[in-house]
Amino acid sequence: MLWQATANGLLLGGLYGIATIGFSMVWGVMGVINLAHTGFIMLGAYITYGLFRFAGLDPIASIPVSMIAMFALGYALQVLVLNRIIRTSLLLSLVVTFGIELVMVDAVSIAFTSDVRSVNSSYAASSIEVFGILVPVVRLIAAGFSVTLGIAFFAFLRFTRAGQMILATALDREVSSLMGINPERIYALTAGAGAALAGATGSLASMLFPVMPGMGVTFLSAVFVITVLGGIGSVEGCIVAGFIYGLVQAWAGYFLGANYQEIVGFGLFLLVLALRPQGLFGRAFFGEHA
Amino acid sequence: MISPSSPSGARRRALLFWAFFAAGAVVLALAPLALNNYWLRVLTTVFMYATVTQGLNVIVGLTGYHAFGNAVFFGFGAYACGVAMTLGAPFPVALVAAVAFSALVAGIVGWPILRLRGHYFAIATVALNLAAIQLVIQVGGVTGGAEGLPLPLSDLPPGPLYRAIYLVMLAGMVVSTLLVAFILIRPFGYALRAIRDGERAAGVMGIDTTATKVAAWAISAGITGFAGGVWAYWITFIEPASAFDPAIGVKAYMMLILGGMGTVIGPVLGAFVLEFLSTLVWGGFLQAHQIVFGVLIVVICLVAPNGMLVAGRSLIQRWRSRHGAA
Repeated sequence: MLWQATANGLLLGGLYGIATIGFSMVWGVMGVINLAHTGFIMLGAYITYGLFRFAGLDPIASIPVSMIAMFALGYALQVLVLNRIIRTSLLLSLVVTFGIELVMVDAVSIAFTSDVRSVNSSYAASSIEVFGILVPVVRLIAAGFSVTLGIAFFAFLRFTRAGQMILATALDREVSSLMGINPERIYALTAGAGAALAGATGSLASMLFPVMPGMGVTFLSAVFVITVLGGIGSVEGCIVAGFIYGLVQAWAGYFLGANYQEIVGFGLFLLVLALRPQGLFGRAFFGEHA
Repeated sequence: MISPSSPSGARRRALLFWAFFAAGAVVLALAPLALNNYWLRVLTTVFMYATVTQGLNVIVGLTGYHAFGNAVFFGFGAYACGVAMTLGAPFPVALVAAVAFSALVAGIVGWPILRLRGHYFAIATVALNLAAIQLVIQVGGVTGGAEGLPLPLSDLPPGPLYRAIYLVMLAGMVVSTLLVAFILIRPFGYALRAIRDGERAAGVMGIDTTATKVAAWAISAGITGFAGGVWAYWITFIEPASAFDPAIGVKAYMMLILGGMGTVIGPVLGAFVLEFLSTLVWGGFLQAHQIVFGVLIVVICLVAPNGMLVAGRSLIQRWRSRHGAA
């Protein structure tokens, strides 16, 4: 049973990692704590649910759709609202993004009611047995896609011109603008990419968890802890910390009983900040000085 | 005419301000004689938020630590009051327990958390808020856990009871405002503002920054816990999700921004304006009041990030310069 719990924790850990990358990048690059991030996750799940329910589209096939839709939303919000807020005070971003999250959750509640929905793909019930451990196929798919997307985003940052521009802006906003980079456009790009990753998370999460307006918020404390544990703005840190967080949660559930998630998460959060405040892979990003 | 910067002018303005404040408090204290139940409830809510916002003002406005999840002390106050009354304590004793317990929690949690700065501190308080909800559910027993906690009913009939709660909330608002004004003229208040404007420099000047910050957060938590305790007695049934609702803290935060951070009367003004505004607006949007609140947050942050007085002043200046040029 302990091995089963470990396997479950690791499989969920992949999803937690991909849920955090966008949040962590936005914080690292522009110093904004984006509480609306969990709203993007929820919207991604509803897009997958809608396409599955009304168009019969496979949940996996809807991932690109929710990524594109969330990219557009994230980009637009950054240009219309957040770039203006950043000019006055970074800490206002917390309040503003909380407000945006409220709007998203309430809009979905009105459109879809707050009933619990589910996405049941043809392979939802099947699982593979490995060394006596049952591995549900959907969880395996979710974890696999999460890691793949994480690696793809890492490669995007390292090997493309746009990715290099994001990293340069994160390291030094003033110097990067001297090099001809427009920081506000880079911020919008980063926010869009972060939202797209959140949308993908939502699509994957819709296969594992019930789909409802409040589902995004259940990721919030995981996202906080993994961001700090992995090091702010570090993609590889998010993936590794996601697995660690998944394991800790699974073991806490196994040894202490269920529903200790937030308390254990908060304990882990305090521990990281006390012992290694820069996180596992943390660097001096712009956002950290804020 | 005396210029505002001269000492006697400043003193006269302060005197005028406190005269207005006292007159306002007296009028509000007598108001229940003339108000119907609806307005009594609206005003009680305004006083509650003004108190919570004044508590937030101590840690955010004066000390510069953005305790985004400060509503956690509202919940602790509500639960301390509820549990004390379930165990047989009368309301005044339970209220003291609410203040003391909230301040105690802030004192204990503050030692590790207040070492964090900026964003880290802000999200640590949010995480604390989320953890507190589960903590109450896990503890169960005397807190009622996930099922919620009904408070013992008062012997008073509803009319006098609601008027009494109105007066207690009003007292909370007045006393917390006086407390902030008092702190501002004490060395403690100068120490807080020194920390806000430059923590390392404050330390160099001989301020024990950790102890000062923890004390400020304990005062902030005590004020917030008071409001939570009265609220619990007012609505007579509390549950973790409503008592620790992060939206309470965010609303107070908006009121603080609107009224002006670090000022004495700002939180009160902000609470009056935002609560009346939302009461008026929500009447028309019962279905979508979260959307309205969310949009309101975004608009306030875009239009008046430094408070409505600053926004109004710059608006007048712009109007004048445009008409002067024409």
